[in-house]
Amino acid sequence: MHAGFMMEEASERVVGGLMLILGLTGLLLASGALDNAIYIFGLSLAAFAVVFELGLIRSHYDRKDRMARARAGFDV
Amino acid sequence: MSDIAMAPIQAASPRTRAVVYNDDVIRKFTIATMFWAAVAMLVGVVLAAQLCWPAVNLGFSFTNFGRLRPVHTSAAIFAFGGSALFATSFYIVQRTCRARLWGGTALHNFIFWGYQFFIVMAALSYVMGYSRGQEYSEPEWHLTLFLVIIWVAYAIVYIATVLVREEPHIYVSNWFYMAFIVTVAVLVLGNNAAVPLSMYSAKGYTAYAGVTNALIQWWYGHNAVGFFLTAAFLGMMYYFIPKQAGRPVYSYRLSVVHFWSLVFMYIWAGPHHLHYTSLPDWTQTLGMVFSIMLWMPSWGGMINGLMTLSGAWDKLRTDPGLRFSVTAVGFYGMSTFEGPVMSIRSVNALAHYTDWVVGHVHSGALGWVAFISFGAMYYLVPILWNRKSMYSHTLMAWHYWIATLGIVLYITALWVAGIMQGLMWRAYDSFGFLQYAFSDSVNAVHPYYVIRFLGGALFLTGTLIMIFNLLMTVYSPQTAPKTQRQSAVAAE
Repeated sequence: MHAGFMMEEASERVVGGLMLILGLTGLLLASGALDNAIYIFGLSLAAFAVVFELGLIRSHYDRKDRMARARAGFDV
Repeated sequence: MSDIAMAPIQAASPRTRAVVYNDDVIRKFTIATMFWAAVAMLVGVVLAAQLCWPAVNLGFSFTNFGRLRPVHTSAAIFAFGGSALFATSFYIVQRTCRARLWGGTALHNFIFWGYQFFIVMAALSYVMGYSRGQEYSEPEWHLTLFLVIIWVAYAIVYIATVLVREEPHIYVSNWFYMAFIVTVAVLVLGNNAAVPLSMYSAKGYTAYAGVTNALIQWWYGHNAVGFFLTAAFLGMMYYFIPKQAGRPVYSYRLSVVHFWSLVFMYIWAGPHHLHYTSLPDWTQTLGMVFSIMLWMPSWGGMINGLMTLSGAWDKLRTDPGLRFSVTAVGFYGMSTFEGPVMSIRSVNALAHYTDWVVGHVHSGALGWVAFISFGAMYYLVPILWNRKSMYSHTLMAWHYWIATLGIVLYITALWVAGIMQGLMWRAYDSFGFLQYAFSDSVNAVHPYYVIRFLGGALFLTGTLIMIFNLLMTVYSPQTAPKTQRQSAVAAE
């Protein structure tokens, strides 16, 4: 497999894991928040993580599709 | 088809393989740069209006001067300046190292969206009244921790790209950017150290006390200027001016010499912000002496930037983008002359706490940082969006002259206002009493504040013209690409 693809795959996994941790941390902060600033930050962090994860999933499968089409000889 | 999907198809032997750059993240940061430029300057104009006409505070807690002021400074430095630095550093490191950005698209997108998230959260916290109360270092502990994650990712991507380069030489711009990345990390970790009230509370208290805190704050503050607003933008200068002028750097040796002397000397200069305070006298003197010595490396950069135009000065007539870059170098020389002068203790006795300081900062921020960024953006946008040229050179010229007039009005008004304030505050009558009440000095500077407001409004107008011009460059059929440009460029 080409190094560029391995890098993309590894990057998605590492960043996906990091975003998972950040999202859960956001929920944890929001759940026990003592003030508005940490409450808003926690919820926003969780929402940011969810949206980012969805983006990662989309780009992952878009790339798989493009590769499959390229292998099949379609003009992609 | 996406460039990364094409990569294995294009792959041949390492010697013949075309490098597929990641320009997508650069485009995103370019858009963010222009968006935050408009925000930062708009808030700046509102603040200038509030100083002239206090009713503009509107009576709300979240629109008053104290809360909007860090929004303006953070938006200008970290959002506008920071996005410009991310965009240009990612562009330059790929071209000069002939290597795709290391780390994969997901990591690059994380850096972009994470940084934008940090900016929005920081601005929101300021208008809600949460701030550490230390200049340029306002984000509370939780935001600092989040920024550290983004910054570490940025450092890894940048340094790893340099390490996997296919060019044997590390071009000087990369040295400036790496100094910026590493030093800003050290500065933020050092100065923002805080003890949170609770893990669930945004409020934290600085880890240092008293004059130690003041010294560390200005070690951070001055080096934020030195490494964020100077070194990194010099990296920008060393790439884009030679590119725009079509000339090599005047003296590559000078660029390396002034790089090392600049990074060595800047780190000591912070105490000049604390003249006539409880900071030990010798420390103040140390800061002053290093500030004066900084003249040499600073002007080394200025001379190198200007002399790079040798044989290409005529291009200033026809290329307004280059005009921005070269004027920026002029303002860089001027503000790095003014700064050491103001750090001299006897001059500082007059200048400190006055609007002269604000004028000095803006001659650097508008004249140097913003102008060199505008020059780079005018160069980058047609390339990144594959357009044959900018939409309108006339609008570029209008932007240049309106913005220059704005800066001139701004800094001259604040020179006069600042020196007048300093003189009024130190004036005694024949009985030894202060001659003026503080409110007298406030009344006296009012006309100059109005001129400053007009200068800022002109600068904002120029920026809006630029945004219109860039949008038209991207979308207008008039600038349609001449050929299908490949993003792989073999020999930049």
